[in-house]
Amino acid sequence: MAADRHILELLPAYALDCLGEEELVRVSVHVGECPECRAGLSAYQAVVDQLALAVPLAEPPASLKSRLMERTQPGRTRLPAQARSSGWEWLTGLMQRSAPAWGLVSLALIAVLILSNLWLWGQLSGPSSPPEPALASTISLTGTQAAPEASGLLIINTDPERGTLVVDALPPLDPDQQYQLWLIQDGRRTSGGVFSVNQEGSGWLRISAPQPLPSYSAFGITIEPAGGSPGPTGDKVLGSTL
Amino acid sequence: MDYSTLNDEALIRLVARAHEGALSQLYDRYSRLIFSLALNLVGDRATAEEVTLDVFTRVWERAETYRSEQAKVSTWLSSIARYRCIDVLRRRGSRPEQRSVGWAELSLGAMPSVDGPEGATELALQQERVRAALASLPPEQREALALAYFQGYTHRQIAETLGQPLGTVKTRIRLAMQKLRDLLVEE
Repeated sequence: MAADRHILELLPAYALDCLGEEELVRVSVHVGECPECRAGLSAYQAVVDQLALAVPLAEPPASLKSRLMERTQPGRTRLPAQARSSGWEWLTGLMQRSAPAWGLVSLALIAVLILSNLWLWGQLSGPSSPPEPALASTISLTGTQAAPEASGLLIINTDPERGTLVVDALPPLDPDQQYQLWLIQDGRRTSGGVFSVNQEGSGWLRISAPQPLPSYSAFGITIEPAGGSPGPTGDKVLGSTL
Repeated sequence: MDYSTLNDEALIRLVARAHEGALSQLYDRYSRLIFSLALNLVGDRATAEEVTLDVFTRVWERAETYRSEQAKVSTWLSSIARYRCIDVLRRRGSRPEQRSVGWAELSLGAMPSVDGPEGATELALQQERVRAALASLPPEQREALALAYFQGYTHRQIAETLGQPLGTVKTRIRLAMQKLRDLLVEE
């Protein structure tokens, strides 16, 4: 599909991650469908990757290596993500930026649901496939009995610990409630963040997970008190099993 | 085993098999780069140390997720570090306002030394190319780019910071990235 000029002009900023939310959603959806833009984005991503090489240099303290190697000692070797250090926990909280782009979310969801099939088809087309895309894969979420009309899509980035959740037709909540995403593995549930929806039940959430999203066995969304809960307490409204 | 003779991809494969010596060698090669990047992004040494530790801890725990066809080891590591730092900056909700950001004083003199058979020459050449490419940008484009890259600012935040129209900032970023792409990315 031919890329429209506006999207092409946004690709550099998309690679830099400096777009506002509305443009971010629009470009995400478009890149999911358009091989030409995925190729273009790949080139800009390669630029961003190289920019680190130009930073002014500083020397880390000598003690830092000892601290790292302590983490590799027997008994701490290759820990599962849930057992990582407090430093990791501290760094991987969910970012919350500006107000969501509600008006685009419904359109984005519909477009992504349709076009992700094209993207997956493109993934299977072998050596002639375009260069590394911005979106690596998607996971569909379906509504439970508590919200049978609801649907959702989890878009996993090429950095598999990051992604975007887009939902539609969820029941609007009271102001003291929010939806909470749960990342499930071996029966353990880790919060993926909280979000709200507009009057049409649309909303979205950026995810920064403590381990690759495809490594989880399932995802669920429940209704929780505003700000979220340590573990799920309310009705489950959306779910997915990998 | 003399890990210093191995290339980066071989080291990653050994880290995936829990060879501590391989992790140690990778740290020696790239800790300065990662720490420098983190320090320039988050602005304080304590946080930069935590980010550096977390990047290499992730290598230790998840080396098997590295895909050589997608990125060099150095870009894989720096990409992880940058995302971690931007998460930190956005969680803070504020940035260190008064420090200079990044590329203001580009100099080709301060190259890091990197051990390993391919390290010193290749990485140093890469760094020189990137610095020269950045130095070729008009200052106003480099300034806008630095605010996006180092501080995680959006177009709108950059426009507010620089006191420039939003469209002007968008154009500066686009032109800068297009020129860097032409200079740094092979077709």
